[in-house]
This record gives sequence, C-alpha cells and structure tokens, in this order.
Amino acid sequence: MSTTTSAVRSHAEAVQVSRMVDYLGLFILFFVLTGSYHIHGMLTMGDWDFWADWKDRRLWVTVYPIVMITFPAAVQAVIWERLRLPWGATVCILGILFGEWVNRYFNFWMWTYFPINFVFPTAAVHMAIFLDVVLMLSGSYLFTAVIGGLGWGLLLYPGNWPVVGPLHVPVEYNGMLMSIADIQGYHYVRTGTPEYIRMVEKGTLRTFGKDVAPVSAFFSGFMSILIYFMWHFVGRWFGNVRFVKRT
Amino acid sequence: MKARTDRVGRWSLVGALIALVAAVAYGPAALAHGEKSQAAFLRMRTIHWFDLSWSTDQLNVNDEMEIKGKFHVFEGWPEAVDPPEVSFLNIGIPGPTFIRKESYIGDKFVPRSARLEIGKTYTFRVVLKARRPGEWHVHPMINVEGGGPIIGPGKWVTVNGSMRDFKNPVTTLTGQTVDLETYNEGNIWFWHVLWYAIGVAWIAYFARNPIFIPRLLMVNAGRADELITPTDKKVGLLFGAATILLVIFGYSSTQSKYPVTIPLQAGVLRGITPIELPKPTVDVKVDEATYRVPGRAMKMKLTVTNRGDRPVQLCEFETASVRFMNPEVCEDETGYPEDLLAEEGLSVTGGAVAPGETKTLEVVASDAAWEVYRLSDIIYDPDSRFGGLFFFYDDAGNRQMVIVDAPLIPTFM
Ligand SMILES: [Cu+2]
Repeated sequence: MSTTTSAVRSHAEAVQVSRMVDYLGLFILFFVLTGSYHIHGMLTMGDWDFWADWKDRRLWVTVYPIVMITFPAAVQAVIWERLRLPWGATVCILGILFGEWVNRYFNFWMWTYFPINFVFPTAAVHMAIFLDVVLMLSGSYLFTAVIGGLGWGLLLYPGNWPVVGPLHVPVEYNGMLMSIADIQGYHYVRTGTPEYIRMVEKGTLRTFGKDVAPVSAFFSGFMSILIYFMWHFVGRWFGNVRFVKRT
Repeated sequence: MKARTDRVGRWSLVGALIALVAAVAYGPAALAHGEKSQAAFLRMRTIHWFDLSWSTDQLNVNDEMEIKGKFHVFEGWPEAVDPPEVSFLNIGIPGPTFIRKESYIGDKFVPRSARLEIGKTYTFRVVLKARRPGEWHVHPMINVEGGGPIIGPGKWVTVNGSMRDFKNPVTTLTGQTVDLETYNEGNIWFWHVLWYAIGVAWIAYFARNPIFIPRLLMVNAGRADELITPTDKKVGLLFGAATILLVIFGYSSTQSKYPVTIPLQAGVLRGITPIELPKPTVDVKVDEATYRVPGRAMKMKLTVTNRGDRPVQLCEFETASVRFMNPEVCEDETGYPEDLLAEEGLSVTGGAVAPGETKTLEVVASDAAWEVYRLSDIIYDPDSRFGGLFFFYDDAGNRQMVIVDAPLIPTFM
C-alpha cells in the first residue's frame, strides 16, 4: 500500500480514491461475471434456459440449480472470506441475468424474432438472496452449503412459477393435448433445434406420480450442496493464490 | 497503485468484454442454404421428396400457405446415419418468419417426433402462417436423431405486410383465447424487473459503505466480524424473509389464477401409416453408371423390362431433390424451384419400351445443378453409390416410380 499513501495527501483524498476503486471494482466484477458465468450457463444449461418449452418440472428443475450454484459458491468464498461482503451469489445472478436479457432481447427477439414470452431466462435472484442471507446470518460455509444449497434447489420452481405457470395451461390442439409452451415450441419454428433434442419430462422419477417437481427439487438441492462445496474450494484457491494476497 | 489498478482494470475489462460479446452474441442458428453443404450421399440416399406442391409463393402477413407432397425413406439408407426411428418433420426457414400451424405425416398430426420406416413412402402436409415480411427460402425437412437435418427442396416465398399486424390466437381448455405473440409477457417483465430490483437493492445496501480496500484492510487486521453490524443482520433477515414470502405469494397467487395446468408434453409418436404405392410393372437394372466430372453429367446404361400392358417412357430422374426432366415425355407443372429443376436435363436414347419388351436405355442426366448443389462430391464418398427415383409414363399418362440404388464410377476425361 506504500504507493497509495504517497499518492494521496489527505484523508479526504484517500476516501475519494478508495471510492473510485470501489465503483471500478464493482463494475469490473459485474462484467467479468456477466461474461464468464453466462458462458458457463450456456454450455451447461443452455436450452433449458433459452426456451419456455424446456422449462419442465423434472430436468430444468434438476439441472439449473446444480450447474448454476457453481459461480455463486466460488464468489462467496472470495468476497466473504476477504471482504466480509454478503452478496457474492446475488452479484453473479444479476450479472448473468443482465447478459441473458441483452442476449434474449437483441438476438432472440430483435434479430431472430422469437417472442420474448418464449425465450425469457430463468429467474434466480430469489435463490441468490437466500444463499447470501444464509451465509451472512450463519457466517458458516458448512451451514450455507447445506441449508443454502438445499434452499437454492428448492426455490427455483416456486419462484419461477408466476412466470412459467401461465404457459402450462392446457390446450386441445388438432386433437392433441398440449400446453401453451408446447404450442409455442411448435409454432415458432426452430430449424436448428429439432423436437427430439428437447430433454423434458424424462428420467426415473415416474413412480412419484404427480409430485415430480418437489422430488426433482429435493434431488437438485442435495446435489447443489455437493457442488457448492466443490466450487467453494475453487473460489478459495482462486482468491488465495492469485489476487488478494499480493495486494 | 492507481496505475496498477488501471492496468488490471483495463485487462479485466478486455477479458470481460470478449466473454460478454461471445455470450451475448449467441443466437439461435438461422439456417440459410445449408442444403448445399450437406454431404451428397445424405441427400441422395436418405429421404427422397417428390410430388411436392406449394399453395402459393406470395402472401401477406397472417395468410396461410400449404406445402404438401410425398417422401420416400430410401431402402439403401447409409450405415453412417442412424435409422429414422425418431424423426421430426420440420421446416427450414431463417427463424420464425412463419409459424407452423399444422403438420401431418399421412393423416397424423405430428407436433413431435415420429417413427418412420425404411423403404416406405409417406405423404406429408405442412401449413404455415406468414409472420414476418421478406423473401424467405422455405424448405420442408426431416430431422433424424443421430442423422441430422435432411433438407428438402427450398422455394422462395415472398411475404408482404407488417409483423405488427401478426396475430396468433389460441383457445385454451379453460376457455380463454390468448395471443401467443404477447401472452404472459407483462407478467414476465413484472417479475423479472421486481426480482432484479430487489437484487440491486441488496447489493446497493452494502455499497453505501466502502466496498473493497477498507474492508480488505479490516479483514487482514483480524477485525472481520466488525464489518457485519447488527443492523446489517437485521436488514439481511428482512431481505431473507421478504424473499421467502414473495416466493410463497407469487406461487400461490399463480396457483389460484391458473388452477389448471399440465406438464409439458413429450414422447415419440407411433403409428404413422405409410402409403402403398402400386408395385411398378417396370424393372430397371443399372448396368453401368458413370459421372463425367468435366461434363457435369451422369451417364447410365439401364436394362428396362416392361411387364405391363402399355408402352412406357422414362420421363424423370430425381436425386437429392434435383429433378432431371425428359422434355419429350413430360414437364413440371407444380412451380418446382427453378434451381433444382433441370427442365431439359434428361436425354434418353432408346425411346419407349413396349409391353413385354426388355431394352437397353442410354440415359444422360446433365445440369449445372450437379456442381451448384455439390452432388458431384458423391464421387469422393467412402461408399460411392447413388440413389434416386425414376418416373416412367405410359401412353395413357399413368406414372410408375422405380427406386434405384447403384454404384457410381467417376470419369475424368
Ligand atoms: Cu435454403
């Protein structure tokens, strides 16, 4: 910090520099996350997030939390450990949602003309705030992994239902039962995404009958706990060796 | 410190921008004439489209058009391609410039994948409703799981009007009629904006105070615990509780507003019935087939036996959606896409085959389409065979279809 002390002459000036570092840092963090987390998201949960007719009660509910708890766990590990800041998960989710909305609005709607009500992303801010609040109140990574991770998995479906539910209203279409989302997928032709690629309502949970969504959500929550741990250590390693110590 | 922050900042920004652009620039692939880049053997030996017709090629937004015809699932289906057990009747267009209102194989509605059988012939019909003005290349196509898209002939269709006028009403089983263009959109914006605002508020609350350097110094000094004040904890509790309550509220109000919902529907459709074509009374044996590279022409020596009771003449050879016509016998009246129609592309020496006669016909199919559609690439194939359909007409105008599957030898002189 010796360079800082010689560069500023008064306390007020130090505060000003510090504030500038804050805004710049936040800005950079946000956009680094927007870019990298967004790419991670597209490679892992890709189509489940792109299309309304992939947002089912089985695989979407299972896949999204598991693959998306990664960055929040890692960022929490760094900024809680080093700065005691409790918004690691939220900044990740705000970042990816920003990137996704830009992508969906400009590419999927303005450029390719898919209606927004078919290509909106998954809402996850509620899951992120839950994860952050649990970490802040407990101060324990173990507790956050177990309770936060489980809640992260469980909250996806009910939190998204206000947006997705209306698309699951049934329609009789040409003598076949289809949900509105199924009809969207049929009407708005995706030349490059044939119907059989769609991974929905598959899996071995058939025995649970109607209560598929809660069972999937619990399974997803348990897996999220594990992934939280793994990515916590990824974040730790990243935070330790690379940047913060050298400052 | 400042210079270093700048440098770190600049590079992070460059990295972030690259990642951002890569992620944000991703869009659903809009197919434009991928048909030519597809391996020739795939187009020649998988699905043969024929008897196609287009109800129109000029329409206004909200108007409908119909594409119908037949396709034959080729007996000599290549081994490199999975059999068409999970196949989807699709439409090749650049994005949803049309909506697909209906599609049928046989008389079965096929919004999902279906099972097709090798060696069978099917009828199909697709109804499209124009959504966006422009000139669009519209292809029927079949996606085969494990085989990729098999694209049929593309026709240019002009759509006039404005997309703003486009309406897509659907009536639900609960009795409401909704417009799929905008249905639920306000709801999506409302919830997404609300949650985003809550997320921003959460970070903003902590960003009132210094974020990075002073906190880092405090943590390093072992005073991390002082950084989260009792007030912070209360605010955290408030956010946590509000989040849970809002989720519960949103869920239950949606449940009461939309009490009847169903899971997404999926699964392969079975029981697609093929059509029975009358067994041809003409036998064709390919004695020799060569492709002359410099002349862009395929030469075939055929031994044709007519077991019927009327004389027949060869009128057309179709392969990979390119139709080579013998103008002395027949011509196209369906408005088939020009670039795929060789109106005088088939010359036949030998003439008509009389009833009971066996005769050798020398047939030459030549057209620029061999090059334009890269069909000549077939000679570079590991299994250099060609597949196609011959159409014969008798003197009363009855048509017979004969399927061929034979080796092809290139000549370079
Ligand atoms: Cu095309």
